[in-house]
Amino acid sequence: MNDYVIETHDITKRYGDDVAVDHLNLRIRRGEVYGFLGPNGAGKTTTLRMLLGLAKPTSGGALVLGGRPGSSESIARIGALVEAPGLYPFLSGRDNLRVLAKHAGVPKQRIEVVLEEVGLLHRAKDRFATYSQGMKQRLGVAAALLKDPDLLILDEPTNGLDPAGMAEMRTFIRGLGQQRRTVLLSSHLMAEVEQVCDRAGVISRGALVKEGTVDELRGSDALRVVAEPQEQARQLIEGLAEVEAVATIDGALRVTTDPSGAPAINRRLVEAGIAVSELGPDRASLEEVFLELTRYGTEDE
Amino acid sequence: MGSIAAELLVLRKRTSTWILLGVWILLGMMFAYLLPYLTLSGGADAPTVTPLAALLPENLTGQLLGGFPFFGGVIALMLGVLAIGSDYAWDTLKTLLMQRSGRVRVLSAKLVALAVGLVPFVIGIFAAGAVASYAIAGAEGAAIEWPSVWDLVRALAAGWLVLAAWAAFGVLLAVLSRGTALAIGMGILYTFVIEGLLAALAGEVSWLGSLVEYSLRANAYSLVIAFGVPSEALTDNGPGSFFGPFVDGGQAVLVLGAFLAVFLSLSALVVRRRDVG
Repeated sequence: MNDYVIETHDITKRYGDDVAVDHLNLRIRRGEVYGFLGPNGAGKTTTLRMLLGLAKPTSGGALVLGGRPGSSESIARIGALVEAPGLYPFLSGRDNLRVLAKHAGVPKQRIEVVLEEVGLLHRAKDRFATYSQGMKQRLGVAAALLKDPDLLILDEPTNGLDPAGMAEMRTFIRGLGQQRRTVLLSSHLMAEVEQVCDRAGVISRGALVKEGTVDELRGSDALRVVAEPQEQARQLIEGLAEVEAVATIDGALRVTTDPSGAPAINRRLVEAGIAVSELGPDRASLEEVFLELTRYGTEDE
Repeated sequence: MGSIAAELLVLRKRTSTWILLGVWILLGMMFAYLLPYLTLSGGADAPTVTPLAALLPENLTGQLLGGFPFFGGVIALMLGVLAIGSDYAWDTLKTLLMQRSGRVRVLSAKLVALAVGLVPFVIGIFAAGAVASYAIAGAEGAAIEWPSVWDLVRALAAGWLVLAAWAAFGVLLAVLSRGTALAIGMGILYTFVIEGLLAALAGEVSWLGSLVEYSLRANAYSLVIAFGVPSEALTDNGPGSFFGPFVDGGQAVLVLGAFLAVFLSLSALVVRRRDVG
């Protein structure tokens, strides 16, 4: 059995001369929460629309759950929330889900289950138009969960939510990922991907520029050491077997090593009579990596 | 069947459906019974005054069908636009297509629901017309005779076909424009301006006359004339006036059926091929 839930092969989407997605190759494994990270206009939503069969690729292709995008074997096992939730404003939350359940051939008992899951049972009778932005997003997620899908595709699900709502939504998504589901989470928020995802791919101008676990994306582990006299500290640290490299950045030493060795390095420096005023992990935040990788990202999608 | 039930639920719960139904019945009763009866009972003696016989139950089909090609068509066009165009405006088409595979299947469910949704528009106005004509007959002490069941069924079917052709036109405009506002504007422009001008010039330009014989409006009017709507009632119908050319009822059914098929096939083709969202 293929271990990849989503595989794209040089998938490309052009609108005239504009390339929205450029020979993108994604591999998303069964059961993982995959972050699809990129600035606005990078091609994330266009990619998701192609994976769902809503847009046709100009060239290349994809396999989603073993079927071509939009095929019955694929769509039947996918739940998705792409951009803002598209639901009928004049229908209640429950009636909106009734409509979708009838289309999907899902038993109506699932409606109450998903309403409960997203915490909207108490407002299920109210019209969708009267919902707050956060409630609309939650109903959109409920709609995506209706089919109890194997693959959940969520495009910027925390858009428009307040900080509390964002935190709640991230916890919820993390919980979904801990079940047997595969989750593809598209976002331009690094913190979101950092908190929720197992692996992430960074897309810029339609192309995948980096992919890996969040730790891999951040790069190698390092320690930041501020000590006096600095040159003596540098020489001592360079002599340690577990240290790969030492560099001086912004008046501090950046020591490339396993951060778990920090207490030993501290002890050696102190034993050598060196005053240590700061010693701690020095890892590039995902945000720094993201900005570096996507500095040519556009805002025009 | 699930998808059709879903679309019937959407159509039933949509306020605009009920507003259009209410406006349609209100206009129908006003122009087919209330205004003619008030004019008649006011003692007017102009040749344009509707005779009492036309307002009695026996002429129910002829008296009601006259309104179908004119404002009935516009109401049906709006219903067709709203039934499909709103799904683009609210982005619900994207959500529906993510539920189960098959764009044409989703569109078909919407079209079947729309076709079923037109039935209350036809039955509703005939029911209201029956009550109005019965009341007029009672007030005037006239004999009450109803059309035969067969005539009634044929008239209902003809009325539905006229509304369905216009609704299908609305569906196509909504699909092409991916929304509601432009589609309704274009539909009304076509109905009143383009077809109206073509029909007005048809008598002067012979080839235009032949073309108009295959227009939506000419065939809708020709169909209702076959059910006893007096042609004078159409030529003195304000902005809905139509002076011909008329074709026979059989051709009208075929042409309206062809329009229905072409509008829906084109809509399905566009929905199937074009990116969504």
